[in-house]
Amino acid sequence: MAKIEPITGRYIYVPYEGQEYRVFYEEAGQGIPLICLHTAGTDSREWRHQLCDPDINRNFRVIALDLPRHGKSIPPTGWWKDEYKLTAKFYSEFVMAFARELELDRPVIMGSSMGGNVCLHLALNFADEVRALIPVEACDYSPGWWLDWLHHPHIHGGEACATATYGLMAPQSPEEYRRETWWYYAQGGPGIFKGDLYFYSVDHDFRSLVGKISGKVPMYFMTGVYDFACTPEMAETTAKKIKGAEHITMEEIGHFPMCENPVVFKKYLMPVLAKIVRK
Amino acid sequence: MAAFDVRWVERWQEQVNKDAVLKTIGRHFTANILFEFGSHPYVVSFVDGSMAKVAHSIGPETTFTLALRAPAETWAKFVQPIPPPMYNDLIALSHPLHGKLRVEGDTKLMWQNLRALTWALDLMRNVKE
Repeated sequence: MAKIEPITGRYIYVPYEGQEYRVFYEEAGQGIPLICLHTAGTDSREWRHQLCDPDINRNFRVIALDLPRHGKSIPPTGWWKDEYKLTAKFYSEFVMAFARELELDRPVIMGSSMGGNVCLHLALNFADEVRALIPVEACDYSPGWWLDWLHHPHIHGGEACATATYGLMAPQSPEEYRRETWWYYAQGGPGIFKGDLYFYSVDHDFRSLVGKISGKVPMYFMTGVYDFACTPEMAETTAKKIKGAEHITMEEIGHFPMCENPVVFKKYLMPVLAKIVRK
Repeated sequence: MAAFDVRWVERWQEQVNKDAVLKTIGRHFTANILFEFGSHPYVVSFVDGSMAKVAHSIGPETTFTLALRAPAETWAKFVQPIPPPMYNDLIALSHPLHGKLRVEGDTKLMWQNLRALTWALDLMRNVKE
């Protein structure tokens, strides 16, 4: 019998500000919609373990999309004429446009790194449209990554982006999965990682806004101890500024919990998902 | 703590020069790099991914393109089999949030050769005292 995963991949057309974006997404399971957001410069493959996990997809319709310009989601027309810089406005509004187009009922949104940072914008601006938020490896300000070296004609972008992020993973994580994550990074389009980091390190400076989050939406911050871009201390400090938000420190894991060590991540994630189911 | 003396560097050189992966990913890695382990500076001449030469005496005629400078205590944490958080990687050490290692000189060269360079650095963990 063939070994086939339960994931189904599809394309959806998402209208946003006069453009129609052809967006790839993959999903598995049924129940509460759970949108998973990939990290900068990569794609939905980062969430493959959670998509396939019966303990997760039994209660959740797990959906992972490729943002425009990432993975199988082609860039909007005219992309070749502009420098790509992801903004908080586009990112947060586009994720919600995708959710609306799929007619999801108040989804849970879980994102890692930039996908975690955008959860703060979603909490502030879309509190009525989301059920819960799980910002993984996220905080209100994560400077230092918007670098020209990541998109430079003298430098191999794929290898440089992938190697620059490799050390964000814990040495205890299985090498096979760490190298797989390196591979995802090496496959990003030219300038896409850097363009995403414009959001991550520049446009997402949420320090003056974090206190305005209502606390209406449950938020569960989760941070690996080997994350040197957003340390557990940085995430915990952010969480303390939000009414009712929780912070969980994850041992022996780094910036890419879902794909660098899905077993360890699951140990921390399942109690969070159980709380969301109970609510 | 690792001694970072001449003998230690020679053992690191052995590790680098017998490494099969570096022969592939370092095929174009040629650079003179100053490594400062606290009070122990060395200039390592990488040629096509091998450590061709190590200069132990740094003087007015020593040239290098890139310098990686950190206290010996920082390097000692980096070379542990399981380094502690924030000490496990060149980018971690040098990230402006942490500033545990200074990168000076031609930083473009570092980014051009980041894969081979970090692989060579990781081989420090194979050095037996």
